[in-house]
Amino acid sequence: MAFNFNWSPLTADASFYTRAQELLTTALNKSPKPPIIVDDILVNELNLGSVPPDLEILEIGDLAEDRFRGIFKMCYAGDAFLTLKTRVQANPLNTYLSTKPSFASPQPLAAASGLTIPLQITLSDIKLSAFIILVFSRQKGLTLVFRNDPLESLKVSSTFDSIPFVRDYLQNEIEAQLRTLLMDEVPAIIHRLSLRLWVPEYGAREDGEIARGDENLASREKVIDPLASPPQDPVDPSGNVLDAAQIASLSLDSSSDAHSLFSQKNLLRLEALTDSHRTLSLFTPGIRDAVFRAWAGPTERGEAHGSTSPATPMTPGISRAHSYNGSTSTTYTFCDGPDSGVHTTRPTLSSYGSAAAGLSLGAGRHGKPHTGRKRKHRVVNLRKRQSGSDDTASISGESTTAATTSSAVSEAAISCAVADDELITPPHSPQHKVRFRNSQDSIDLGDTPPRLRNLTPRLEPLTAIPIPTNPSPTIPAPPPVPRQQHASSPPARPKLRSPPSIPASAYPREKPPQPSTATSAFSSPSQPLGAPPFHYVETPSGGILEQAWLMKMAGEMARRAQEAKEKAMDGGGGFWERRNGDGERAGEGEAEPPPAYGV
Amino acid sequence: MDYVQNAFYDATHWNRDNSYGSLTATARALLDFDTPRGLRLNVSSLSSPNFATSYTLGSIGVVDGSLSYLYSSLPIKETSKSGEIELRHVIQGYRQLQELRRPDEQWWWEEWHQGKRVDKRDALLYGRLFLPHSTLEALYLRRISPTQQLKITSVSDSRLKSGGTILALFQHDTGKYSTEYLYSTDSALLGIRGLYNFGPDPRARAPSYTTAATTPTSPSAATLPSPSEGLHGRFSAGAELYYGLLNKSGGVSTGIRFATLPRHTGFPYTMTLNLNPLMGNLSCTYAVQAAPSLALCSRFDFNVYSYESDLQLGVELWRRRRKPDALDWARAKPGSKRKGDDGVAGVLKARVNQDWAVGVLWEGRLKDLLYTGGVTLDFRRRESPFRAVGLELQYSS
Repeated sequence: MAFNFNWSPLTADASFYTRAQELLTTALNKSPKPPIIVDDILVNELNLGSVPPDLEILEIGDLAEDRFRGIFKMCYAGDAFLTLKTRVQANPLNTYLSTKPSFASPQPLAAASGLTIPLQITLSDIKLSAFIILVFSRQKGLTLVFRNDPLESLKVSSTFDSIPFVRDYLQNEIEAQLRTLLMDEVPAIIHRLSLRLWVPEYGAREDGEIARGDENLASREKVIDPLASPPQDPVDPSGNVLDAAQIASLSLDSSSDAHSLFSQKNLLRLEALTDSHRTLSLFTPGIRDAVFRAWAGPTERGEAHGSTSPATPMTPGISRAHSYNGSTSTTYTFCDGPDSGVHTTRPTLSSYGSAAAGLSLGAGRHGKPHTGRKRKHRVVNLRKRQSGSDDTASISGESTTAATTSSAVSEAAISCAVADDELITPPHSPQHKVRFRNSQDSIDLGDTPPRLRNLTPRLEPLTAIPIPTNPSPTIPAPPPVPRQQHASSPPARPKLRSPPSIPASAYPREKPPQPSTATSAFSSPSQPLGAPPFHYVETPSGGILEQAWLMKMAGEMARRAQEAKEKAMDGGGGFWERRNGDGERAGEGEAEPPPAYGV
Repeated sequence: MDYVQNAFYDATHWNRDNSYGSLTATARALLDFDTPRGLRLNVSSLSSPNFATSYTLGSIGVVDGSLSYLYSSLPIKETSKSGEIELRHVIQGYRQLQELRRPDEQWWWEEWHQGKRVDKRDALLYGRLFLPHSTLEALYLRRISPTQQLKITSVSDSRLKSGGTILALFQHDTGKYSTEYLYSTDSALLGIRGLYNFGPDPRARAPSYTTAATTPTSPSAATLPSPSEGLHGRFSAGAELYYGLLNKSGGVSTGIRFATLPRHTGFPYTMTLNLNPLMGNLSCTYAVQAAPSLALCSRFDFNVYSYESDLQLGVELWRRRRKPDALDWARAKPGSKRKGDDGVAGVLKARVNQDWAVGVLWEGRLKDLLYTGGVTLDFRRRESPFRAVGLELQYSS
């Protein structure tokens, strides 16, 4: 294979040089300068020369239309040169004393008087030899990493060439600086430049943010990428911002991750949908491939409550525990939940009562489905139905039946206390199973407390029954309610649940193997993602439509995961390993196809 | 601490001014004064004539402080109470050169006891520990002979390259001339400084003390009719030379100074000229004490290679307490213990350079508390001219 290196256009582009000079200047002045340099270092002239570097392809790891990964060996012995301007302190005694404590300094009278001299340094005859790891993707831009110290030799010519001491000193200093520049700064610069070229949104944003560090860059990428590449709906970068604001206004998870997953269009529709609930308006916007479930939101809320208390439900274990507690507290005798919790829950139950019940049903399942969806979309195709038909279905059915009976009957007419008891008792067994899934759900919902509040008002109007029954409108109580509500979930839901439950179990397993950074990134986004979709998408028809929805979600989740991995990769040398790890994770963890393909 | 050190110098008859390093002491006191930053509290005490402690607490963003201890083998008899100290001794201002005094005779220091010499050399030990950074400063000062002094200073700090640095300074002062040899462990810096005073040799002025200690030149000088009576100033010339063995770099400077002596009938003034031939730096200062409470100073720096120049102006204003009324003498007579109260209420120092960087310092005494307030301004930055503001309080007993 051969590459045709087009070297001259780079040199012909004037704007490229100016931009490169700016970037180099900032890079050179970033690291602390030795005391001998008393002024900023300015890149005066930059010329890449006419001789292109020699590239030898050692390995190509990935090759596609929009991405590339490979290892090169690069040798360069061209005529590029770089001219720097700065001012140096020419009195060695001055620089020597400037770094010493005054107490033990000889305190010379005038021998240390300074003499600053403008200095012009020309770097030429640059010889480079390096192994380069190059990763390119249209979304991520170009990432370039040096595997070894690329600088072989360099000629430094300056104003002080006639003074050997100064010349040697400069040579050493500059070589050291250049090494750090090549190893640390150049990759960042190239990455930024490439982003400008290939990611227009980045360019637009980046204009005002050049000064920001790479970290910001990474974060920006996160946001951008999901939007740029979603299969469902193309997302505009500007749209993202709006989404975030809207989400915040809705009091959903304000995390930026959430908005990155959804297209603005869909979010708007979802918002309209939820609004319609609140306002009792008859208009419901149509959402393609989505099933509307009236009570999905509330249930999630309830679960969220349980999970909310642990502000950081990142780890599955924690979230689980919470869910358990919640379940115990809510009503279940077997759980030995605290009585106080039960009491509190009752009033809340009554208040949210019916609504909560309906919601809870949805929530319990929903939450699971969320987690399930992520995996699901991989697994789902095969499993979803199987699982639904299998054990989970039976379980869910039980729970649902109990719940439904309890919720429908008891909630409506019965006074709070009675209703609570009844409600509580039936769901126990089903809930127990549910809980496990709930735990996962809770993870997803982690940030939901605000939602719950929002949701509760909505629910009340919907469920006229609960309102009268609720003597005490205490908001805090709701958490327990949702579980009870589980029972009330319609039969269709159990199916949904069952599939999620399976994925949920898989989910915790997966997490541990993931690299820590990747996991954190992944998990955090997943939570918001899982929660919001259900919230908004309350589709009455559970079965096929929901599956489709789940599929989409899964696809997004997969993308998410990939992005997270990529970010991690951007982080540093561990890139490859992580990548591989991710791949393995995706493949091995659930033995499912990588998410990207699933969609 | 400086005060105690100076007291030690005075007690051992060491002339601080007779050194090339202090050639421009006046200009530095008037132009290069430090303005405090933040709030600093300093409590010191001379618990015994031989032992002094000092604690400093400062806050510049973070609270830092220092502990220092000083031991002097020679009892320091001067008062250390901040309510009685003469401000002129604490505050570095216009430095009036005094008449050179002939060094002590060698045998003055000898103490014989039962046929053995029992005299010891006076020494001063000083240590200071900065707490947050664990920086340790140490000083060892020893008078080896009436004309010789050894000073070793060291700093231990983990942030320094080799964990610390030591500077050894050997000073030899005969009055007529003084030489200093120094060595610093940092890059093995060697240095030599010398100062020569033109004019009469102080050693020759007391022919009655012609002993072996005097140098051979003294007889010839003694034969000359002593012209010192007619001279109102002293002309000194000096040079310094440094060379770092490890980094193979050096530095040179020469300087001359003319300063009036107290005998001078007009207002006292001091002129110095410094030249760094390697770096082409030229610096001349002119300081004048225009009135008993007013001193002015100017300094001009110029570099013949880079054509960079700098001009600094400074003023020092001593504020006196209200005029002593007619009965003051009567009150002062009986127990004139407060001799430190020299009527100085405070000193205002100000400096400005051509870039409109202004420094203002006010030092004074409030009851038994010495305070120093300073501010540094930079008028080139209109929006936020304040560079540093600080207040320092000292109490000592």
